[in-house]
Amino acid sequence: MANTACFIIVGRNDIPIYEAEVGSAAKREDAAQLHQFILHAALDVVQDLAWTTSAMFLKSVDRFNDLVVSVYVTAGHTRLMLLHDSRNEDGIKSFFQEVHELYIKILLNPLYLPGSRIASSHFDTKVRALARKYL
Amino acid sequence: MIGTSTRLPAIQRLVEIKTIAELLHFKISTLLLHGGKLIEAVTWFHQHKASYEKVVGSTEFIFLHWDWMSRQFLVFAELLETSSATAQGFSSLNQGTAEISLTEFEFYPAYYYQLAAQYLKDKKCALELLLSMSETAQEINSCSESITPSGYVGQFAQLLEKGEGEALTFHSITDEEYTRYTISEAKRFQDSFEIIAWLKRSYESFTNLKAGRMAARCAFEVGREYFDLADPNNAKKYFDIAANFYRQEGWVTLLWEVLGYLRECSRNLGALKDFVELSLEMVVLPVTSYDDSGNLKNKNYGPGGPATFSGRESIHQEIFTLLCREAELLSSIGGNGFKLATDSPLHLEIDLVSPLRPVLLASVAFHEQIIKPHAMCSITLSLLSHLPLPVEIDHLEVQFNQSMCNFVIRNSQRPLWATSSNTVQSGSQVENEPSLVLVPNNWLRLTYAINSEQSGKLECLSVLAKLGPLFTISSRAESPAAMEDLSVWKHENRVESLPTKDPVLAVFGQKATQVDELEPQVDVSLGASGPALVGEDFTLPIVVTSKGHAVYNGELKINLVDVGGGGLFSPRETEPFSLESHHVEICGIDGAEGNDESESETGNIKKIQQSFGLVSVPDLKEGESWSCKLEIKWHRPKPVMLFVSLGYLPHGSEDNTQKVHIHKSLQIEGKMPLLISSQFMLPYRRDHLLLNKIKPAPDSEDMSSLPLNEKSVLVVRAKNCSEIALKLVSMSIELDDKQGETSCLIHQGGGCGDSPSSANLAPGEEFKKVFTVIPITRTSKLDLGSVHLKWRRQGSNITEACVLTKHKLPEVIVEASPLVMNLSCPPYAILGEPFTCAVRICNQTQLLQEAKFALADAQSFVLSGSHSNTISVLPKSEHVLSYKLVPLTCGEQQLPKITLTSARYSAEFQPSAVASSVFVLPSASHAKKTNSTVK
Repeated sequence: MANTACFIIVGRNDIPIYEAEVGSAAKREDAAQLHQFILHAALDVVQDLAWTTSAMFLKSVDRFNDLVVSVYVTAGHTRLMLLHDSRNEDGIKSFFQEVHELYIKILLNPLYLPGSRIASSHFDTKVRALARKYL
Repeated sequence: MIGTSTRLPAIQRLVEIKTIAELLHFKISTLLLHGGKLIEAVTWFHQHKASYEKVVGSTEFIFLHWDWMSRQFLVFAELLETSSATAQGFSSLNQGTAEISLTEFEFYPAYYYQLAAQYLKDKKCALELLLSMSETAQEINSCSESITPSGYVGQFAQLLEKGEGEALTFHSITDEEYTRYTISEAKRFQDSFEIIAWLKRSYESFTNLKAGRMAARCAFEVGREYFDLADPNNAKKYFDIAANFYRQEGWVTLLWEVLGYLRECSRNLGALKDFVELSLEMVVLPVTSYDDSGNLKNKNYGPGGPATFSGRESIHQEIFTLLCREAELLSSIGGNGFKLATDSPLHLEIDLVSPLRPVLLASVAFHEQIIKPHAMCSITLSLLSHLPLPVEIDHLEVQFNQSMCNFVIRNSQRPLWATSSNTVQSGSQVENEPSLVLVPNNWLRLTYAINSEQSGKLECLSVLAKLGPLFTISSRAESPAAMEDLSVWKHENRVESLPTKDPVLAVFGQKATQVDELEPQVDVSLGASGPALVGEDFTLPIVVTSKGHAVYNGELKINLVDVGGGGLFSPRETEPFSLESHHVEICGIDGAEGNDESESETGNIKKIQQSFGLVSVPDLKEGESWSCKLEIKWHRPKPVMLFVSLGYLPHGSEDNTQKVHIHKSLQIEGKMPLLISSQFMLPYRRDHLLLNKIKPAPDSEDMSSLPLNEKSVLVVRAKNCSEIALKLVSMSIELDDKQGETSCLIHQGGGCGDSPSSANLAPGEEFKKVFTVIPITRTSKLDLGSVHLKWRRQGSNITEACVLTKHKLPEVIVEASPLVMNLSCPPYAILGEPFTCAVRICNQTQLLQEAKFALADAQSFVLSGSHSNTISVLPKSEHVLSYKLVPLTCGEQQLPKITLTSARYSAEFQPSAVASSVFVLPSASHAKKTNSTVK
C-alpha cells in the first residue's frame, strides 16, 4: 500500500463529490494539506488531455515533487483523481476500474442525484478496501 | 561512488559532488536548449532530478539539500525562459517520449518556478527548525567571517592571515566549521521574498496560459508566504484571488482553507466587517463531515481549523458571541482582538450574488397577484439559514418599495431596543411573534396581512434581521418562483423543503403585487351627434362631471385611433386634396364654456397634435362639471375610435397620492356628405365628326371629346348620400389656373334664374346644375377646373361657416371637327301629315370632302329621298339632303337613321339616338294645345 494517496471524485461540473485520504501514512505532514490543492490544479491538465485520447485511464497527468496525479475519466466526464507516490500503474488502473463500477452502482440508485455529493458509507468502505488491495 | 576522494569530510564532499553535478547539468541543458531540443532538455532535467533527489545527505542539515534542489528548478526555469526553443505544439512533442510522459505544463518555466519556490520553502522550514534547536547560535556567528569558496569548484576553505606581510593561505575546514558557515550565510538570505517572487511569476504565467486552477494554487501559496511574513495586506490580496476562484469552482474544502487564512488576515488588520463576513461565509459552507478523526487526522490545518461540522460550530459561536452578546460577556471571552464599540453598528447587505446568501435567505410571496387599495392582503415571509446552530432574531423589518407598507416583526421574548430603525416609520405596523428562531435548514414561515393605499406595484425589497443591539443583516427579498439554488448547497444531500406550505405559492409566488387604482368617482361623457361628415369641423362636447371626488390637476388625454388598423396616416397618398397626411385630425379644443378666466389662471396646458391632444382640466369641487368641445376634421370617409382618458388627483396637493384614471371611448363614423358627378352633352341635333371618338389615342381612353368653338353643355349633379339633411349654399366651377381661363369659356347655364342660390337637400336627393362650355383653344387636354360646392348642415347656425367641398372635373380633349352633320326637323309631327327633314353636311375644312351616306328605313315613317349616295362637299360649304316624311304612328318615334361615312378619314358616324327622334301627335288639335301650354 502506498504511503500517500488522496482519492477524489470530481463531478462533471468540476465540483468534488467524494474525497478520501487513502494513504497508509502521511509522509511529510506540511505537504499533506496541499493534496486537494494539487488535485484541483491538475484539473487544468485533465481538461486539455481528456479530449485528446479515447482511453479512460489517463495515467499520470501531473507531478508534484514525488507525488503523481493519475486520472480516470468516465464517459459522463466524471473524473476519478488519485494523488499518489507509488509507481504501480497496473494497480492504479485496476483501482480506478473497480471504483468506476462502484460509482456506476451509485448512479443507478434512483435516490442519488447525479452531480451531488456521495455520502454513502458503503461506498466509502468499499473504496478504502479497494485502496488497500491495489495501492 | 567509485574512487571518491576521502580527502574532504562527508558533508563537504556531498556538497562538492552536487555542485559539480549542477554545473554539468547546467551546461548540458543549455546546449540542448540552444539546439532546440526541448523534450530532451526536459527529460534530461527529470533524470538529473531523479538521480540526486534521494541523495539527501545528513538529515540534520537537510536544508542544504532543499536549497540545492530549489536551485536546480530555478536554474532550469530561467534557462527555459531565456531559451529560444519555446513552446509550440506540445501535443506533438509529447508523443516522442516513451519512458516518461511529460505533461504540457512541464514545458513552461512557470511549473519549475513554482517547484523551486516549494523546495525553497522546505529549506526555510528545515533551517528554522535547525536554528530553533541549536543553542549555539551565537557561536556560529563568531568564526564564520573568513570562510570563502576556494579555488576548486564546490570546495570551501578558511582564509587565514599568517602574520603581516605574508601571503594569505587557504586552509581546509572541518564539516562543523562548514555547517556553521552555511547556516550563518543562510540566515542572511530572505528566502520568503525569493519564494514570493517566483510564485508570483508562475502565477502570472499560469494566468496568461488560462490555467486558472494552477494560478489559483500559486496565488494561495503567495498568500501563505505573505501570511507567514506577517504582511496581512498583501496576503489578503492573493488569498482573495484564490478565494474568488474556489468560490466559482465550488471546492468547499479548499475554499474553507483559504477563507481561514483570509479571516486571520482581516483579524490582524482589524477589519471587523470583513472578519464577520468571512466567518459567516465559512460557517455556511456545506462542510458536513462530523468528525475530525479518520482520514482528516493528519492534516496540518490552516488558521481556519479543520473543515468539519464542529469547526463550523465553533466559528459560529465565536462570531455570534462577538456580535450579539452584551459587553460584559465579551470581555470574558477576549482574544478576538476586536473592540466592538457600542456606537458603531454593523450592517451586512446580502444580495443575490453574495457568498453570504446561505446565511439568510429571504423568500417573500404575496398571496394575491392583484389587490384592491385599502384591502388587507396576505404575505408570507420565509427565512432559511444554513448556519450550523439555531439563531434567535430580535426583530425583523420587512421593507417595500412603498415605504408606508414597511412593517416590523418583534420577538416578544427579547427586550425592545431603544434604537429604532430609520427605515420604518413610527406609525407603521408592528407584529409580535412568540419566538423568532432560525433553525438550520428549516424554513421559518411567517404570514401577515398588510394593506396598501397607493396604487401601482407593491414590491418587497429586503428583509432586515436584527441580531442583538448592533448587528443587522439585510437580505434581498426573492420571489419563490424565481429563486435560484444556492450554488454551494445545491449538490449537498439534504432535505429539500418548500419556502411556503402552499405548493402553488412556492412555485408561482411573487414578491411583488399590483395594487389597483381607486374607483373613479368622476364621470366623463362624450356627446356625439351621429356620424361626422367629411370636410366639416365636427364638434364633440366632452363633459367632466364630478360625482364624489373633487378633481385636482386633471388632465384630459385625447387619442384618435383608426378602427380598421393601419393608422391614420398613409404615406402612399398622392392625391393632392389630402396633402395633409392625416385623414382624420384634431383641429382644436375649445376650452370650457363660460370660465375662460380660470383657464388662464391654471396655466392651461393645451397640446394638440393631429391624432393626440392634451388638455388640462381646471380644479373642480364635488358636484361641479366642466366641458370642452373637441373639433375633429375628416379628410376621408373613415371610422375612427376616439379615446379620452382623464387623470386626476382626488385629494388636493398631497404628493404621494396617485392619479385616478377614467377611460372612455367612442367610435365615430366619418361619412362622405355629397356625391358629385358630371356629364357632358353636345349641341342638340348637331353631330360632329370627332376623330378621337372613333380612333381613340392610347392615353385618352376615358376622356370625352369636345368640339372646338362649339357650345357644349356640362351637367353637374350633387347627391346627398348621408343621412343628414344638408343645405347647399352655392355651386360654381372655378378654373384652376390662367391657362384654363383663356382656353375655354364656362357660363352658368340656363341663366333664367330658376336655379336657386341655395337649395335644401334631403338625404338621397340630387341637385343638378347646368353649365355651358365653349372651348376656344385646340388642346388634347383641357383642364376644366373643379366644382366648388358650399354646404352646411340644415338647421345649423347661419353664422357658422359653410363647408367647401371641391370636386375635380375630368379633363377633356378639344378638337376641331372636319364635318358637322346638322339635322333640322320640326319639334313635333302630326300623324299622317308630311313634314320635311333636312340633313346638312357642313365641311369645315379647306379640303374637298367626299362623304357617303346611307339612310335606313324606319317603320313608322314613309320616306321620300335618296337612300344612299356619295356626295362631295366643297370646302367651307354645306350640302343639304332633304327628305319628306309622313308619320304613321303616334308617340315618340325614331327618325330614319342616317349614317355618314367620310372617305378622307374613313370614319363613319351617326347622329345620336336621342337627338334623332321626334314626337308624333295624333292630330293637329293636340299640337295647338301643346303650343298654347308652352306659351
